[in-house]
Amino acid sequence: MLENLFTNIAGLLRNLLDSAGVPPLWNDVTLLVVKLVAILVFILINALWLVLMERKVAGYMQARIGPNRVGPWGLLQTTCDIGKLISKEIPIPKSADKILFLLAPALVFVPPLMIFAAIPFGKDMVALDLNIGLFYVFALASLTTIIFWMGGWGSNNKYSLLGSMRVVAQMVSYELPMILSVLGVIMLVGSMNLTEIIAAQQNMWFIVTQPIAFLIFFIAAVAECNRTPFDLVEGESEIINGPYTEYGGMGFAMFFLAEYASIMIISAMATTIFLGGWLAPFGLTFIPSWLWFFLKMYVLIFVVMWFRWTFPRIRVDQLMGFGWKILVPLSLANVFVTGIGMYIYRAIGW
Amino acid sequence: MFGNGLIKGLRITWKEFTSKKFTVQYPEEQHTKPERFHGRFVFDADKCIACNLCANACPNNVIELKSEKVEKKKFLTKYVMNIEYCLFCGMCVEACNKDAINFSLEHDMSQYNYDAIPLILVEREAPKPEPKPEEATPEASGEKAEPKVKGKGKQKEETPAASADKSASDEVAAGKAPEKEGQ
Repeated sequence: MLENLFTNIAGLLRNLLDSAGVPPLWNDVTLLVVKLVAILVFILINALWLVLMERKVAGYMQARIGPNRVGPWGLLQTTCDIGKLISKEIPIPKSADKILFLLAPALVFVPPLMIFAAIPFGKDMVALDLNIGLFYVFALASLTTIIFWMGGWGSNNKYSLLGSMRVVAQMVSYELPMILSVLGVIMLVGSMNLTEIIAAQQNMWFIVTQPIAFLIFFIAAVAECNRTPFDLVEGESEIINGPYTEYGGMGFAMFFLAEYASIMIISAMATTIFLGGWLAPFGLTFIPSWLWFFLKMYVLIFVVMWFRWTFPRIRVDQLMGFGWKILVPLSLANVFVTGIGMYIYRAIGW
Repeated sequence: MFGNGLIKGLRITWKEFTSKKFTVQYPEEQHTKPERFHGRFVFDADKCIACNLCANACPNNVIELKSEKVEKKKFLTKYVMNIEYCLFCGMCVEACNKDAINFSLEHDMSQYNYDAIPLILVEREAPKPEPKPEEATPEASGEKAEPKVKGKGKQKEETPAASADKSASDEVAAGKAPEKEGQ
């Protein structure tokens, strides 16, 4: 019952449209739109509550209890914050490029939505089952760079410009080890389809066979969404707030929420690629597959937040050195070792 | 091992994460205040002899004190503390000979309106002196004025004069009361 909750809802909708005499093409289109809207709502609500989670985690790690006044357990705190931010003016600097300046926060949620469309949330729960799913996901994940660059350039402010240049430098440096680390998994599976990658982990998760790849992927992913210890992009003590310096009101809030959306994405990707996606471990199949997916995803999100409230920010030269001198060679070595391993396994005759 | 420090840091924050929280949920629960807490002032009008020592002791001129003369004694008619200027140093409490002014543990003194800030401790009319002084004094001046008359009437007939600003400074100037110079 719970296992097929969402697929049943989709089937019900399809039958309903069929019985209403809607042609099959329109039926498919409507269903896809419904799925995408559901994902959009899911992302927005999650981003909203992840802000609260972040504050709660921060509080708990500092021996306090975080927001707890608005709503039960503080659950409406961030909703109220967003309500306040919506009601505020978005001040536009006189010398800013107005179109770019306003376009950046409007577009910032597009890549997360497009990525989530391709991620399998559970058994048969993927809006777009692409055969190059992994490629698609990585291509879109790096698209966020352009939006930050747009915001930083359009603001016409030196701190914004510096911040957005850091975004570009950091993302380019860390994209490389991230993709190279996943290469080992692609070699093992022989496919870039996310559903097939999950299916290949039926017996053993790739975190066991590719532990170094997981580590590199996770570190690079944390850097990718500009989180501590790699949050140089908005290093308050150096460049005020990076690309968001000139933004106020909802413009700022969109960037702020997008950060949490990108945390969700990297956690969902790490879950899909290394932690077996929606597969239940130890045969615990009585818990529905989508719940397993979210469980793993939220554990990883918690780890990212745990990093944030533990580690200090690293220096720019350390960031670049770490990326190019340690992560890239390590991931290349991982690809090499995986290749040799596969060759040996094949020679043995597995 | 490389990365040991990172793991150690994570362990520390995890320990904090699971440990007991120290937050005191303010309006519902409060820290216990020490006995000598400098909170809102409480004033015992019965004890006050309107000597003005507290007003003189105050470094910020917070205390506004008015008295009228009823019979031979001073009767306190107004005692207002402009609490917005008060620094809660406690000089007035120390200066008081009669233990009339004291601190309480109350500390929520914020107000919505500026006018509401001054702490009005006493504001009353002085009892009107009756035409026949001998009969009227005990009854008309009320219970409040009575004990003061009885208790301190003989000893301190001159003190009200000393405590009033002008006469006090006169005395100091005349060298009669050198101990009051510092005040």
